[in-house]
Amino acid sequence: MTVSNGTPYSEALSAYQASAARPLKPAGDDTQTLLEQYHPDYRADTLDTIKVGPNSGDRCHRQLAELLQADARIDEADLAGAPVVKTDVLVIGGGGAGCAAALVARQAGAEVILATKLRLGDSNTVMAEGGIQASIEKSDTPQMHFDDTLKAGHFNAERELVAAMVKDGPDVIRWLIQQGMQFDLDEFGDLLTRRAGGTSANRVCYYRDYTGLEMMRVLREAVQNSDIDVWDYSPAVELLANESGHCAGAVLSNLKNCSYVQVVAKTVIIATGGIGRMHLNGFPTSNHFGATGDGLILAYRLGAKLRELDSFQYHPTGLAWPQHLAGSLITEGVRSAGTWLLNGHGERFIDELLPRDVVAAAILRECAEGRGITIEDGVCGVWLDTPGLELRNPGILQQRFPKLLNLGKKAGIDPSRSPLLIYPTLHYQNGGVVIDANGATTVPGLYCVGEASGGIHGKNRIMGNALLEIISFGRRAGEHAAAQRHNKGHKQVGLEHLSRLRRELTISGMPMERKSPMLFPDCAKFDDDADYDGLRRHRRNKVTQE
Amino acid sequence: MSAENQQLVNVVIDGKAIQAPPSLSVIQALWHAGYPRVKGVGCLEGVCGSCRVLVRREGQEKVGMELGCQTLVEEGMQVLFLVFPNPTHHHYELGEIKNSWDVQAEFHRIFPEANSCRHCGGCYSACPKNINVELGVKLAGEGRFREAGELFVECIMCNLCMTGCPEAIAPNHVGLFARRVTAYFHARPSNLIHRLELLRKGELEVDCNSPGSQPDNAAN
Repeated sequence: MTVSNGTPYSEALSAYQASAARPLKPAGDDTQTLLEQYHPDYRADTLDTIKVGPNSGDRCHRQLAELLQADARIDEADLAGAPVVKTDVLVIGGGGAGCAAALVARQAGAEVILATKLRLGDSNTVMAEGGIQASIEKSDTPQMHFDDTLKAGHFNAERELVAAMVKDGPDVIRWLIQQGMQFDLDEFGDLLTRRAGGTSANRVCYYRDYTGLEMMRVLREAVQNSDIDVWDYSPAVELLANESGHCAGAVLSNLKNCSYVQVVAKTVIIATGGIGRMHLNGFPTSNHFGATGDGLILAYRLGAKLRELDSFQYHPTGLAWPQHLAGSLITEGVRSAGTWLLNGHGERFIDELLPRDVVAAAILRECAEGRGITIEDGVCGVWLDTPGLELRNPGILQQRFPKLLNLGKKAGIDPSRSPLLIYPTLHYQNGGVVIDANGATTVPGLYCVGEASGGIHGKNRIMGNALLEIISFGRRAGEHAAAQRHNKGHKQVGLEHLSRLRRELTISGMPMERKSPMLFPDCAKFDDDADYDGLRRHRRNKVTQE
Repeated sequence: MSAENQQLVNVVIDGKAIQAPPSLSVIQALWHAGYPRVKGVGCLEGVCGSCRVLVRREGQEKVGMELGCQTLVEEGMQVLFLVFPNPTHHHYELGEIKNSWDVQAEFHRIFPEANSCRHCGGCYSACPKNINVELGVKLAGEGRFREAGELFVECIMCNLCMTGCPEAIAPNHVGLFARRVTAYFHARPSNLIHRLELLRKGELEVDCNSPGSQPDNAAN
């Protein structure tokens, strides 16, 4: 944010005092006006219309459109000499969705290869703090969960998918416990629940503020102790198609020995996660290093339809300061426990438990209208009033938010004594690949689960539905994909779809210099990394660097 | 202070002499100096365990193990990334343990080295999360799995304690085993079980066109 007319940090900090009661400032704008004026999704200058592929004519974020309409990294010539490995199910992605899909497919009797760009478990799942939604409380029903999800997503979600997910909720928790995952329980051993912003009942199950870490380490251990063949450091660079255009596997780049491998599979499950590391609109991100939207690109090239490509979630509470931690997430659990947001004048300016897009837009409004708190280089934000929470609930930070205290330690700020400067951070891709209730895409043989898929959250996601989605649809896709293993094999497998892509790109006058998928953020200079000559050699028009 | 106008510090990372602002982590410093870095980078928030580094600070002989995304660069610091994988050699499936009375015996079958701890402190001093790893292994050996598991709440499975253990105990996997059996055998939340029962009986159907999911009715 390049706004200088706020309250300077030091001034705001010395004026700050934790207080037991603060009235909420009456809302000036209605939520729709607030979103249209301040939410980044509504900024017309960042949207583009897609010209090539199944979503031609749709609105899409410009940076994503560029990658969707870029040239492939490889062509047929690169496959000469690339070994062929056969399997029933190929899972691409080693986060929670990929692990759940792989475990269930293997359990069902399929041979499974799980390929991941980095290491197994390096994912956004491991960073999820808030928890996982499942309607289990007496005061709650799956119907209320359904209604809340639809409403938070501005009624853009696919009803059939949401219904499937909310009904899966309780069984997903049971399945996770059976994998060995712990949840916070009360004195009688019942699951504790907390409330997510924009919802009507306590529905979020959690383990401290480490829900994702606990889930991921358990699933990783379960996968490593199974007969699933795990290939780490093996990003998918292209999907393979058979003679009918069905998905028939993928070309993986082995980063260890710098070579390509063709995995020919009866079915492929894409579970590659989100796009935060594209840094849309220049926002910081809470996402994992590998969150570069690869799965969207691969699926799109093979003809899979995408949806809500103009809708992203900016989590309200990313740390704005200090710089080396900018974008780091502070869980919504902190707000749902009762923490307030305060502007530079010490006022509460929004109901903190409204849906995330509304709260984020309100923070952007405060900063834009000069009621933010500013620190050097145009960094602006608002207070997360953690000392106020501690004052009203002594000991709560230590008890329930150890990860937040650790973040404070790294930042050199004690959240129980000093408020934290926060600013929205790019957090989640609301849309993605169109799927059905089995996780199947519009391309036969291709499945997509987790953040890479679309339709479940509409245009805004509520806390805890992401962890539920990855397990719910991961299991569904794993089971359905495994059942296809008895299909007869593919006659011919190749990259014919790339010829079509290049023809269309040329006809539409798209630049052919850009390659996708992105694989790694620009800052890592992956394409120049001498350790990984395998991919560099195939990069066209590359400026040689010595 | 911005990265641009800070006093730079000199560090050596993987043999490369680098100048970087002290507000950057080891990984950020490497990127800041223009070097590629892909391997050993993960969540950048200290919870995935990818970016294990050996660190020696100026004037110190001790070489410590830390996380590259969590360690800020300091003048004279030397850093080496540990990107080698070290998978555990233990193999088990929870489903193989048929009875919760057998867990301790099964534990010693799966982790036979766990009793050979020499109390050298290698695991403890290697842990970037300051977990009392050694005590955790001892408690697990005594069958006190719930207590042992509690010690490993913050474990990110970086495997540094495995690297530090001369008896190849794989202490983090011991800790995770302790946590998993606790959930697998003892977590039986009655509110969850009751809800599953209602769902099984078909008493909680979802109406896809419910009044509460219509734009007109749902306005607050």
